[in-house]
Amino acid sequence: MQERTAIPDSKINSDLLRGLLGTPMWWWVAVIVLALIVGAGVASVAITFNMGLGLWEIHRPIMWGIMIVNFVFWIGISHAGVMISAILRLSYAEWRRPVTRAAEILTVFSLMIAMVHPLIHAGRPWRLAYWFLPYDFPRGIWPSIRSPAVWDPSAIFTYLTGSSLFVLIALIPDMAVARDRTTGWRHYLYSVASLGFRGTPRQWKLQTIAGILLSGLLLPVFVSVHSIVSWDFATMVSVGGWHATIFAPYFVIGAVLSGVSAVVTVMALMRWLFHWEDYIRPEHFDALGRLLIAIAMGWLFFFVLEFFVAIYTKEPAELALREMQLFQWPYNVLFTIFIFAALIIPVPIWVSRKMRRNITVMFITSILVNVGMWLERFIIIIPSLARKQDLTFVWSTYHPSIFEISIVAASFALVGLLLLLFSKVFPLMPLFEQKEGQRFAAQIRVGRRSIPGVVREE
Amino acid sequence: MQRPHLRRTSREHELSFAFPDTPAEAGKDILSRHLRLTSRFWKAFWVLLLLFGVGLLGLALRILGGFDDRAAWGYEAALFAYLLTTAQSAPLVSIAMRIVRNHWRRPLARLSEVFAVVGILNLLLFFPLLMTLPPQEGRKSMWFGWPGSPHIYDSLAIIFLVLCGLAILLFTSMPDMAVLREQASGRLKGIARRLSLGWVGSGREWKKLNLGLGYLGALYFILLIGVHALVSMDFAMSLVPGWIDSIFPAFHALSGLQSAVATIIFSMFLMRAIGGYREYFGLDQFWALSKLLLAFSLLWFYFWWSTFWVYWYGRAPSEVSVLKLIMFGPYAVPFFLSFGLNFVVPFGLMLWNVARRSIKWPTIAAASILVGTFFDRIRLYVSAFSVEDVTGHALESIPATHFPDLIDVLIYVGFFSGSILMYMVASKVVPIISMWEVKEWLRLRVVRTFLRTEVAVVAKPE
Amino acid sequence: MVQEKKQQKWAMVVDVDRCIGCQACVVACQAENNIPLNTEEIFNQKRAIEWIRIERYWEGEYPNVKARFIPVLCQHCENAPCEPVCPVYATYHNSEGLNVQVYNRCVGTRFCQNNDPYAVRFFNFWEPVWPATLQNQLNPDVTVRSRGIMEKCTFCVQRIRRTTRTAKEQGRELKDGELAPACVQACPTSTLTFGDINDPKSKVAKLAKDKRHYRLLEKLGTEPNVIYLKKVDAHAKATSETH
Repeated sequence: MQERTAIPDSKINSDLLRGLLGTPMWWWVAVIVLALIVGAGVASVAITFNMGLGLWEIHRPIMWGIMIVNFVFWIGISHAGVMISAILRLSYAEWRRPVTRAAEILTVFSLMIAMVHPLIHAGRPWRLAYWFLPYDFPRGIWPSIRSPAVWDPSAIFTYLTGSSLFVLIALIPDMAVARDRTTGWRHYLYSVASLGFRGTPRQWKLQTIAGILLSGLLLPVFVSVHSIVSWDFATMVSVGGWHATIFAPYFVIGAVLSGVSAVVTVMALMRWLFHWEDYIRPEHFDALGRLLIAIAMGWLFFFVLEFFVAIYTKEPAELALREMQLFQWPYNVLFTIFIFAALIIPVPIWVSRKMRRNITVMFITSILVNVGMWLERFIIIIPSLARKQDLTFVWSTYHPSIFEISIVAASFALVGLLLLLFSKVFPLMPLFEQKEGQRFAAQIRVGRRSIPGVVREE
Repeated sequence: MQRPHLRRTSREHELSFAFPDTPAEAGKDILSRHLRLTSRFWKAFWVLLLLFGVGLLGLALRILGGFDDRAAWGYEAALFAYLLTTAQSAPLVSIAMRIVRNHWRRPLARLSEVFAVVGILNLLLFFPLLMTLPPQEGRKSMWFGWPGSPHIYDSLAIIFLVLCGLAILLFTSMPDMAVLREQASGRLKGIARRLSLGWVGSGREWKKLNLGLGYLGALYFILLIGVHALVSMDFAMSLVPGWIDSIFPAFHALSGLQSAVATIIFSMFLMRAIGGYREYFGLDQFWALSKLLLAFSLLWFYFWWSTFWVYWYGRAPSEVSVLKLIMFGPYAVPFFLSFGLNFVVPFGLMLWNVARRSIKWPTIAAASILVGTFFDRIRLYVSAFSVEDVTGHALESIPATHFPDLIDVLIYVGFFSGSILMYMVASKVVPIISMWEVKEWLRLRVVRTFLRTEVAVVAKPE
Repeated sequence: MVQEKKQQKWAMVVDVDRCIGCQACVVACQAENNIPLNTEEIFNQKRAIEWIRIERYWEGEYPNVKARFIPVLCQHCENAPCEPVCPVYATYHNSEGLNVQVYNRCVGTRFCQNNDPYAVRFFNFWEPVWPATLQNQLNPDVTVRSRGIMEKCTFCVQRIRRTTRTAKEQGRELKDGELAPACVQACPTSTLTFGDINDPKSKVAKLAKDKRHYRLLEKLGTEPNVIYLKKVDAHAKATSETH
């Protein structure tokens, strides 16, 4: 497990702070391209606000289109941080070390982007204060706590606050290192961010305990966030395809699958773009690959259960819906792509140890998984609305408009852009975790072999 | 067992386990405890055997009463589900922890795997139950009317589950049986010779053992989740019209995972108190399992809440009737007991690190869960079995509470005794502490100084 | 004995047997309630707003084809699934049994339409535009909605209010049949009947107890205040089926 070479602290510092202290050409190119895509998305939003939701392709009964699909998708990606960072931290897994910061910040950014979607898909966005602000506007009416649409912002804000705190606390030691090696406005920024960290034993103890406490507290929050988002759909008694009790854990585990795959994607990119071959090693992808197999199998169980019990009902509208999802154009194609991309292609590849250690393969399969999972959300949300109840007169189909597509594309570009901007100011890999890992590595002789071991923290 | 060169830091420090710290000493110690047969053991043996006979009598009486009155079989179904959820799920703790490759599982691995023998008993309860199932016409069934369903497929599934569990037990105990083959005497020597399957401990054999245990473990896991899904759907959900609950099979399986951990914790406690293995089940084991218990108790609530919330919010009449039947109507008492004992108590206790890091409190939480699951299975299965008209879209009327009669009590007493009996007997054939795993652990662990303290350094051979 | 008058509960009975699919109710509703013009383009976008619509189903194969019409409008459910899901309380159930939509509160999340099993709620995707010639036709008693707002049948609440006020000014009770929503007024075949179902002497209360009565999507438990009377099929075998 520990195939690392011993790396002195000074090299760790210079390697991992590379992003902050210099800007390569590729960074500028990437930022400009992504900014253009984001700009297109912003323009779409502006035009929509100006002219109305008629520009989008939504219509009765499919009142929620790919904007909501994208919303659920990004909430899903946001589960990366807690899964990797919190759970692996609590179980003392050594191989989490390079991944935690990227996972946590991916969480924060994807949550922020997810939050924007319900805002831009509202009919009268200038009245959003009625919905989001905990204030009884002139008529003395508060937001309606009976509505799942009000539980959503509560849960998401909680998760955002918790995750942001998590990132900030984990950043403190690294901010101190950066503070001591910079001047000017950067020095000022890092001084504020490091909160006067000096590396005394007491400060380390407090920082570690805070990290562990937040990990433990964030775990129920992360489960609850996606469950609450799933209850946006599951509590709808009128939409047969949504009204299933399994939605909460099904969505959560799908989110974990999405999120961990996204972390794999980001990690591979980090290794290539920043030349961090010493820190992000095949063994990390190996471990993540095995974790992904377990998650994918769990997800498959819930997926099969959901589909199976839907057919078990033998309700005509439900059966028509499932038939539409599986056999009707274009949903049959989307379904096939989804099941192959999310499950049938990646999982057998991950079973092979050689494939798990091949970073290009892991990069491609992780992207495939997310393509598949985006389509999975599409297949759950849209066809269920298209085949709501037995009143076949209102059955319909949906094809996304260019405006919606550009906004969805912009959401992906925005996450990439934010990550790149983040990497300029904060190190994308935790320095102190790497240094800790160096110190905890050890070798044990058993018989004639020398086996890598690790010091138990407890 | 004396290590004067080490400074004792705190009572809970990882180094302060009391069992021997060389592999040879450990092997000798475990062997001597295993071969010890006290008179208390024999007394318990005969009493339990007698009670088991009474239970068999009860079951025979119930069978003689016929299979038409499904409501009368409700409690027996609940007992079957209870044993499935507790004893048959218990081997999962060892299997899952082996996959995750942690080390604190080693003393309790065999303890968990021996529960597979209770599965044999559960088969006795299972087959009569199959006869009580109504035909599939007019009602929803997960088999959609396939020929031979559900009898053939359910039977195959559960038989395979039991066989897989026994196979796992057989294979993990091979190295220890080899030791017994050499060191024991009398009848045990003969049994051990047969059960050790010619084990000599070569490198290739060890490799095959680890690989085989990995595959069998995964198979057991899949089969167990499958059996939970089958039993929950065939014997509960499809007997209640209008009960369309996609999470119910998962809830049932999760309840099994929670009860598995609780069963192990409680058994560890018993092994310490009356089993004579006090030194082997230390704080490490209880602390680690208590964290799992916290997680599973929260998950129990989460999965229960998924059903309740979606049904309650939607207000569809068919779903509200189901809520009345299984939660708030005639079975409200077992439901609230189960809610309190499966969630409120264990969650409330295991929330506190002080409680987790002890022996007493996880045991109390585990006992609470075992009792809570008992009531939970009753409220699910007795209610489902007491529904008269299984056809239609929704429950027409909520049946009244069905109370247990004398035969039910006889069956419960008898089969609980029988389960304990089988476990006890198995534990005296196969050592309850896995010798080879503990020895392996002792080889992989080294104590080193780290800065100003001593820490355990753990090798990770993978 | 003076009986305490029960609170009014407005209900409608739709006799499917009488409906000929003429769509007079749809047109009347559009005129009365300032519903935006459904041009061909908007209809092709599937965004036509019809607070009451005639659903047409074809039964059988040529030459034995039958057209079945059923008017579907907001059912004003007692147990309305659309009400709890609105995040801003823009829709609620009032004491007269009406499901009320508050236009100036609506933010346009369209959640209510998702949880509406009858698909009778409509969203203003575009800013409604009336040509100059039609602007004088707008009903001053009814709000003109802007884009981004949900709307649906109100049982012509403006007529209910006006008639109730007039009756109060004249110091008398409302007579049964005195007030009718636009669709009820326009229907040539008396398919639609409207009134106070809590008044046992009203026509609606009597019709609601007809042996042909049923409600749409009853298994959802929405308890609609619109009761349908099953079509009498002269050629069907005599069975005692009811919906």
